[in-house]
Amino acid sequence: MDRRNFLKRLAATGTGIALSGSVGTLSKAHAAKGGKEDFGEIKSLKVQCISETSWFDNATLGKDIKAAGGINTNQYDVAYTEENLGGYAALVEVEALDGSKKKYLLDTGWSNDWVDYVFAKDGIDKMLQSKEIDTLFISHDHIDHYFGIESTLKHQPDIKIYFPGTSMPKSFELLKGADFSATPGCPKNSVPHTGELIVTSPDKLYKIQDGMALKFFDCPATLQVRGENVLYFNIKDKGYVTVTGCCHPGILTLLSHARRNFKDGNKNYGCYGGLHISVFENWDPKFDDIIKGVKTFNMQKIGCNHCTGWIWAEKAEQAGLPIVHGTDKNLSYKKVGSLSRAKTSNVYLGNGDEMVF
Amino acid sequence: MTRTQDRLFWLEERQLAPRWSTGVSGLVNLAALIVAVAIVWWVFFSIEGIFKLYTPLLGFSMVIWTLLIILWQAQLFDFWPLSRGFLENAHPLSKGAVFTLITIATYLVLLFGIVWFIIGRLGITYFNWQSLAKYGELGQDMLSTRETASWAMLCLSIPFFLVGVWFMLGIGKDLFHELGQPKFGLANWLFVAVIAIPMYVIFFHPHLGSMFYPKQIYAAVPPWWEAIAQTNSAEYTVGILFCSVIGVFLALNLWDGWPFDLVGRQPWRFFYFALCSLVIGYVIFRIQLYIFDYLWYEAYVGGQNEANFGWRYSHTVTMANFVLVIAIIQNTFFGPAYEKMNRLIGSIIKTVVAIILGLCFAWVYYNWGPTLLGVAEGVSHPSENASAFLILIINIVMIQDLFMDRWPGYQLKK
Repeated sequence: MDRRNFLKRLAATGTGIALSGSVGTLSKAHAAKGGKEDFGEIKSLKVQCISETSWFDNATLGKDIKAAGGINTNQYDVAYTEENLGGYAALVEVEALDGSKKKYLLDTGWSNDWVDYVFAKDGIDKMLQSKEIDTLFISHDHIDHYFGIESTLKHQPDIKIYFPGTSMPKSFELLKGADFSATPGCPKNSVPHTGELIVTSPDKLYKIQDGMALKFFDCPATLQVRGENVLYFNIKDKGYVTVTGCCHPGILTLLSHARRNFKDGNKNYGCYGGLHISVFENWDPKFDDIIKGVKTFNMQKIGCNHCTGWIWAEKAEQAGLPIVHGTDKNLSYKKVGSLSRAKTSNVYLGNGDEMVF
Repeated sequence: MTRTQDRLFWLEERQLAPRWSTGVSGLVNLAALIVAVAIVWWVFFSIEGIFKLYTPLLGFSMVIWTLLIILWQAQLFDFWPLSRGFLENAHPLSKGAVFTLITIATYLVLLFGIVWFIIGRLGITYFNWQSLAKYGELGQDMLSTRETASWAMLCLSIPFFLVGVWFMLGIGKDLFHELGQPKFGLANWLFVAVIAIPMYVIFFHPHLGSMFYPKQIYAAVPPWWEAIAQTNSAEYTVGILFCSVIGVFLALNLWDGWPFDLVGRQPWRFFYFALCSLVIGYVIFRIQLYIFDYLWYEAYVGGQNEANFGWRYSHTVTMANFVLVIAIIQNTFFGPAYEKMNRLIGSIIKTVVAIILGLCFAWVYYNWGPTLLGVAEGVSHPSENASAFLILIINIVMIQDLFMDRWPGYQLKK
């Protein structure tokens, strides 16, 4: 802290502070303001992987994006190869301390054809129709997490939705009913949303129920998308668990946020979801740093898939991190990702797998 | 062939004068620069332009190498093979076109011919994205391999830049002065390469070797700086070495070369110049890290975005470049305004102006860049590197200054 005090005196120019304040930052948002949050506890948590296969072949998606101008192109301007598209969705089942259970849907995939298929396979469509699931969390408005919104709304147009405030204008239009499908792989929604819409912002913690909260992080992502909603759970006698769509803020950001802001926040029990590290199975020495950093938090269960990267999961396991293995259930689905077919290490929780905390 | 020691370089000989008042001439040049940057950016780099080279690393590697080639032409090769008569009499637009074409041709031969095509296909895989895709398995799709190869080329430029600056400015004509052009330029260039290539191998090759799965530990040692830098990423060495280059140019443009001019006798001048650049670079690097700690709290191992050590190291270069761009524009276009001032006072004013306007420029870039330039939103966006845009600006100022006699605002004194 001496260093910071020194700098307060020496180097805190008004312009510098204005610069940081106006462009959005992550770390400062993690600082505890007025004491640590206590949002209660739950008894247990089960996460079912409805689909983690957002696309079936990395190289094909890479070519589509490259042809459109690269990774910073507007996601609504890319012509995607339609047969390559899948989507990400997870069913979150929370057991409260009194034993009652409640189900939530995290994300709604991409290709309606694929999402309809996996929803039917796991009975999500019926849970939506019967309102057994009455809340949808959109982690972020990326192609593979949000473009399949019609597949959810057609079963329950008035579902309550938590939606990132930084979503692109077209993503808001899509929610109200819009058709962007003239561009291959881009979405349409013929069922306007009629239910409660909670547009999330980074300045508050959204308590969903005792022991469960949603936190929005304003963080960068690709294809001109920003921000991500993250689910936090506090499991009695175990500690905090994060459930993410892509984890664009970074897993260590989430763990650090809990440590700095939540009561007993240094007890990090586990995580589920995409961790957005070696997304295209490419590697960077920085990813070795993430393994080293995660090890310092002593997590007990790490369930990862989707944009984590098989390479990272394999290297993390080799380094001693508690990676929870999946099964071969995904191989029975009508389509299988090229990596899922090629890899036998099962370090991913695949389509149809469950994880219990 | 005239020996280098027997005549002045063109840059030493030429004398420029503002065409109008210093203010008007500078503003006209600034306007011309803005127009040129906007056209070049939108045609070649923007994701909404024609060539879409801002990936961002492909664009970054291109502008840094072209800047180096521009400086080589002026400082090592004294505009060879064009004659002094051409330099004295040709219209600035003709000179600009000819030398820019030479720059592009040299870039294509050196980078895409030798490094990418020959070395990348027959020697070191990671210099060629097609080779990476051909021999690689996981993660070696074109989108990733193009960035990897561009990163390698970018890293290769840094020791060439730093050592090149040591030779161009720290030695000047003190070595091989008995040679004429192009032997003088070539001899110096080869000497630069002899030092720069081992520097690349030590400071950057370990990073490249760790970019694959499994790590290429039999070809490249694991990053040896990890314990010092808290990261495996070579952004640590990028930060220090690049800031050292920036430090030299800041001194030239803000302090009339001080403190690099304190030692005149060779070989001490060379060693002092090299050491001084590293010390100033490290100070620029370290002070910024302290400021980042203040703004964003401490980075931590494995943190992402602005909590990442590597990103912070890299961001020191970006922020220093914002200041450098202003310093260069100020000195090149508005320099005569400071000439009558006391050196110390002038240097202080120039430094304050460069820092304040540099920070304002950064504010404008990060707030309006997504709209005006089509870059990604956010200071720490992983697909964003403002240095590509900033070095493009420096490229065009250098073309205007070195190749075009600061046309249109300035002209040669006949």
